[in-house]
Amino acid sequence: MAKNRKDKIGELMTEAQHNEASAPPETAADPRVETETALTKNVVGDETLAEKPENQWVEMWRSLLANKAATISLFLILFIVLVAIFVPMFMPKTPTTNPVNSKIMLYNPTVTNMSAVRQPPNAKHWFGTDDLGMDIFSRVIAGARVSLSVGVIAVAIALALGVTVGAVAGYIGGWLDTVLMRFMDMMLAVPSILLAITLMAVLGKGIDKAVIAISLVYVPEYARIVRSTILSIKENDYIAAARLTGDSQSRIIFRHVLPNTLSVIIVRATLGISGAILDTAALGFLGMGVQPPQAEWGAMLGWARGYIFQCPWMLIFPGMAITLSVLAFNLLGDGLRDAFDPKARVK
Amino acid sequence: MHKRHVWLAVGLAMVLVMACALTGCGGGTNGNNASASTSLKDTITFAQGADPRGLDPAYIDDNESAKVIVNMYEGLLKYAADSAKVEPSLATSWDISSDGLTYTFHLRKGVKFQDGTDFDAAAVKFNIERQLPPKVTADMPYASFVWGTVKSVDAPDSNTVVIHLTQKNSAFLANCAMSMGAPMVSPTACQKDNNNMNNDPVGTGPYKFVSWQKGNSIILVRNDNYWGTKAKTKNLVFKVIPDNSARLLALTNGDVDMIDGIDATAVQSIKSAGDVLHTTKGMNISYMAFNTTSPIFKNAAARKGIAQAINRDELVKNLYQGYATPASTILPSFVPGFSKDVQQTGYDVAAAKAAIAAAGIKTVHMITYSNPRPYNPATGAKLATAIQGYLEKVGVSCKIDTYDWTTYKTKVVAGDYDLCFYGWTGDNGDPDNFLNLLATNDWSQNMARWQDPTYIKGIAEALAMPNGPARDAAYGELEKQAAAANVWYPINHTQLLWAASPGVKGVLYHMTGNTFFADSTVEQK
Repeated sequence: MAKNRKDKIGELMTEAQHNEASAPPETAADPRVETETALTKNVVGDETLAEKPENQWVEMWRSLLANKAATISLFLILFIVLVAIFVPMFMPKTPTTNPVNSKIMLYNPTVTNMSAVRQPPNAKHWFGTDDLGMDIFSRVIAGARVSLSVGVIAVAIALALGVTVGAVAGYIGGWLDTVLMRFMDMMLAVPSILLAITLMAVLGKGIDKAVIAISLVYVPEYARIVRSTILSIKENDYIAAARLTGDSQSRIIFRHVLPNTLSVIIVRATLGISGAILDTAALGFLGMGVQPPQAEWGAMLGWARGYIFQCPWMLIFPGMAITLSVLAFNLLGDGLRDAFDPKARVK
Repeated sequence: MHKRHVWLAVGLAMVLVMACALTGCGGGTNGNNASASTSLKDTITFAQGADPRGLDPAYIDDNESAKVIVNMYEGLLKYAADSAKVEPSLATSWDISSDGLTYTFHLRKGVKFQDGTDFDAAAVKFNIERQLPPKVTADMPYASFVWGTVKSVDAPDSNTVVIHLTQKNSAFLANCAMSMGAPMVSPTACQKDNNNMNNDPVGTGPYKFVSWQKGNSIILVRNDNYWGTKAKTKNLVFKVIPDNSARLLALTNGDVDMIDGIDATAVQSIKSAGDVLHTTKGMNISYMAFNTTSPIFKNAAARKGIAQAINRDELVKNLYQGYATPASTILPSFVPGFSKDVQQTGYDVAAAKAAIAAAGIKTVHMITYSNPRPYNPATGAKLATAIQGYLEKVGVSCKIDTYDWTTYKTKVVAGDYDLCFYGWTGDNGDPDNFLNLLATNDWSQNMARWQDPTYIKGIAEALAMPNGPARDAAYGELEKQAAAANVWYPINHTQLLWAASPGVKGVLYHMTGNTFFADSTVEQK
């Protein structure tokens, strides 16, 4: 009880700070703009740019590092990214079933070898082999590249579309807002994976289509978040000030409003990557994403699901890869949210 | 904030636990139903993967229908229990004229349909004529296959039927034993039902129809007026459980006595649940066809090179885990005409590399199907990928396009492929039914698009020969021709897997995929 009250007081106390703290450079300067003339505005803005932002980001970084789960996740993600980028370069390009050398057991991830099927994990095949003799270790690594790139690209597309729609709807309002947001609501009314499957049915199979389907599915989420954030931001005095100084609509949206939504977007995007990885795996599992024998985690699970009792390693390793990467992105997202939020910031 | 997360997690966990507990309870009560006594149950329940298309033999073309139909209807002839040879059924004997154009069947006396109608020559005549022009309709899929060569049917007396053919057709007897098109329906009931007995079947068989709840179950009961040995178990229930793992679970729970549609991955759970896995030799062939009209495989040496690159024994053993036989011939061993002397191209990597280098093959385009088929439970996609591994070892890279079954069939007809995967499940157990596939110019059946005049002539001649050793030898020779030309790469004959609880005895799961329950019994647990 006592703690609650304290929190409440703290909340009230930090509210004022918050508006300022979470506001990136230009907007931080904005309250002063009211009292400055238009001529001096730039000068003042540039001065604050030089020192305030650094504090801001450094503080967030420190807060993130203080969050153990988020730090571990960050390094795990970095590790997965590095592995996904560099390790496949060492995989045999030629159609050979021999590993690269006797120390590092890397095989061509898509070459089947019927003389070494369903082997449990061993010294030659660290994660075992699947029912067609493909090396699961190499396939999990090759799959990381697919999952991560799909995750990042899909979120990037969704972000670009969603932010634009949300910003326009939120800032301009009126009938445009109604039309856009009702359309987004319609998309949200359909379960996301069902919508993705429907889109895939229209677009056809393949990883490129999976990226499009997943990104379209995520658009409404970003649009909504950005719109609601903008609705609260656009009532601020500094927006009124920008309008008074004669800034154009687009300049106000992109220079003054959107930067304020950045923290929300970054958090949402980080969590979105994990969602996109999961959806990629789901589509792959259903046989609609990557086409076998190309390696992808979900497709590997789908391919092997009949063997769950007979050869569990065929499912355990790709399953673990999905779980770990999704968990890492989720924890990092949580950590980022706390870091961006002065109230929850670990100090 | 964090606290709320914890509670949410605890809440979700509790819901999960409760859900498990509830389902657990459900399972418990089911198990208790089976009381402890050793007598025989009066019901046998069999679960299959799909609903029958219909229960009128003239309108079906699917195995799910046939499995039910063979227990209610009978044909003039039937297959032996362990081979595709024909035996008397409703006809006790038959004579074939010396020109091979007239078949005279002597019918069993005193047989009645389940509705009391007499089974006689007029009934046979009615059954055949309803599937001949002008009465035949477009939705009778096997009418032309079974009766297509019939010119006319005479009934000189009530126990004799004389069938005149338009051409010599030694497969005709085998056709008369089929479960599609050939079984005899009651003419009275058929006329009453507007020539379609899909929902109201009446035959002469050991079981008669009670009810059909679409998509759920079909109930049959013993025909107490059956002319032969009466069925041992009173009730026969066919359940439809489309999902493979749900069907397996139904067996291990004891909800059903027998299931089919199993693949090798389920074997372990069947055995650990104390149920018994049964296998039946399958009347099928799974093969890879070389497109002999493609630029690469016009060249017979190139086809041979590819065939030499694949280790058939290793492939079949590891892909199907022992539940399929590597195919040395197109014909399964129990089909007449099977010859041990046929040799397919053997595994020889060095020779393969040389032949492929000589032919200059770098890449091949494969098309395959994404789903499991009766002759290939591992799916066409896995089979193609496995073959790809062998080809890459000899320096040929593969482009694999995978399609769902319906699309795949159109892609096969379109013909844009070097290699394709297909298979065949025999209809009537006659060798012509298999080997004719390489002679026809119907590209949906002859995937190799091979048109060899000698082979085509041989097929036509063999079809006209009377059944016997000479005809069998002719098919052996035709197999050798096909093997020497390397137009098909026969992969395997898949075994039919089915499982039953240990108390189930006497079920005949025939190689045609039909299930005969007349002799079956189930012991109480």
